[in-house]
Amino acid sequence: MTGSWALLKKDFASYFRSWVGVLTLFGFLIMSGIFFTLFVLGYGQLSLEAARQAYEGIGDITLTGFIMGAFLLNLGVLLLFLVPFLSMRSLAEEKRSGTLELLYTYPLTDFEIVLGKYLSLLTQLFLLFLPTLTYVLVVKFLKAKVDWGIIAGGSLGFILLGASFLSLGLFFSSLTENQIIASGLTFTSLMLLWMLEWLVGFLPPVWSTRLGGLAPFAHFRDFPLGIVDLTDVSYFLCSIVFFFFLTLRVVESRNWKA
Amino acid sequence: MISVENVSKDYGRQRALYNISFEVKRGEVLGLLGPNGAGKTTMIRILTGFFPPTEGKVRLDGKDFSKSPARIKSRIGYLPETVSLYPDFRVDEFLRWVAEVKRIPRKRRKADVEEKMACCGVEAVQRRLISHLSKGYLQRVGLAQALIGDPDVLVLDEPTNGLDPKQIIEIRELIQELGRERTLILSTHILPEVSRVCERVLILNQGRIVAQGTPADLDRGLRDRQEILVRVAGGAAASLDHALRSIPEVESIEKQASEDLTATYLVRMLPGEDLRPEIARRVVEAGFSLLELKTKSLSLEDIFLKLVLTEETTEAV
Repeated sequence: MTGSWALLKKDFASYFRSWVGVLTLFGFLIMSGIFFTLFVLGYGQLSLEAARQAYEGIGDITLTGFIMGAFLLNLGVLLLFLVPFLSMRSLAEEKRSGTLELLYTYPLTDFEIVLGKYLSLLTQLFLLFLPTLTYVLVVKFLKAKVDWGIIAGGSLGFILLGASFLSLGLFFSSLTENQIIASGLTFTSLMLLWMLEWLVGFLPPVWSTRLGGLAPFAHFRDFPLGIVDLTDVSYFLCSIVFFFFLTLRVVESRNWKA
Repeated sequence: MISVENVSKDYGRQRALYNISFEVKRGEVLGLLGPNGAGKTTMIRILTGFFPPTEGKVRLDGKDFSKSPARIKSRIGYLPETVSLYPDFRVDEFLRWVAEVKRIPRKRRKADVEEKMACCGVEAVQRRLISHLSKGYLQRVGLAQALIGDPDVLVLDEPTNGLDPKQIIEIRELIQELGRERTLILSTHILPEVSRVCERVLILNQGRIVAQGTPADLDRGLRDRQEILVRVAGGAAASLDHALRSIPEVESIEKQASEDLTATYLVRMLPGEDLRPEIARRVVEAGFSLLELKTKSLSLEDIFLKLVLTEETTEAV
């Protein structure tokens, strides 16, 4: 595992020395800031209207639920655009520049290489996500009572969703030495997965329930409500492991005899 | 120390190496020579554990490469053909990272990195970003990373490729120095490099070993006829021709150059005993003054071309 740790450190350092890294961080902060502001304003509007006339069920809407829940849900959608930028470099760039050849001849196992690459992507995701938690403080400032279940569940869901997307992105990055192709393939697949929920609506029910279960957002939606379902958690864990081992196979394929 | 046993390598349906076997002894400097596309890089990649051969085995001190790849890789230092290192790292930073990846204990890393930087002459640029280095320095940093961890075997793929003449000389000197204490395998398509640096040469062509031995061995084995250069002064050309042709072994005489009073002839004859005394005597008897008489030895370049070209003609038939 020492090898993975060394790789993680290297990737992490070089990520923030490249414009892609800085721009991704910058873009994510701006987008999440806009989302948050919109939901805060939306909540303000809603409470104004509620003061004028009582809606049915208005009492069920909580501050954390409305702002943070919807905010985290939307951050999930933002991952569709973010993940291809995070993962495209990972293996593709090492392949293109030829540094992968060095890595292959250092005393590292293929598993260590893929694990190190994946962990560094995860760390980058954590780092992007961390600042957005400061919005919790804003919510706390607005009103004392914070529903921690929603924040914890939403954060966990976001990280799981991101981790499974990154695993898929890492896989596509291992297939090519072109970052653009890697990000394009990742983005297209993520979009297809996103649209899967609607697409299956046109299929016969036998298929729609089976395929519908593969849609990541169907599994993500409950997390920002503060509901952590083991089925959803295991769905994400399975997809992480699935693409991780596909990547490992690709890396190992140079050892195949034929 | 390294033994390569019946190694073949396929890329899909294309076979890149055919049944290669050779040994490298401890402390030896072995040159892999061959035209581009001969399979040098494939052979090198097998030797560094980049990928395993399709058939056959490679052993390091009797241990099979495929059994414990990570342990074997830590005993081999590798300089790839195109040295590409992480551009956004500083030289010292990168080398320290390499030391970590190569599992040098934390305490020894700093000393090791400093030693290798001194050895390869990159101390002056250690604070510079790798992307700002010249090709020559890049090659040196590449050598330094290969040396970190003091591997038993050093494998260099075309180490002087793309350098300017001054850098080539510097890198070659460095390699010679390194070859003194280490087992070194070096691939190249540049011939003088081999004869200058290597103790033993292996010539590859189209995935096969076409010749191996010391540069001198190859020279001897390939010389299927003697060639002697004769420089004379005075006399009539026809009489010289006549005088030398009477030696039964002489096959042909060719005039190579003539200046005012001197002329140079290339005399080709069948292999056998040294006929220089005989030639000298005849030249003088024919009324010439003998200015120079020397055996023309084939340079490695001639041998190389000869091998590679014969291979191709046989293949064409």
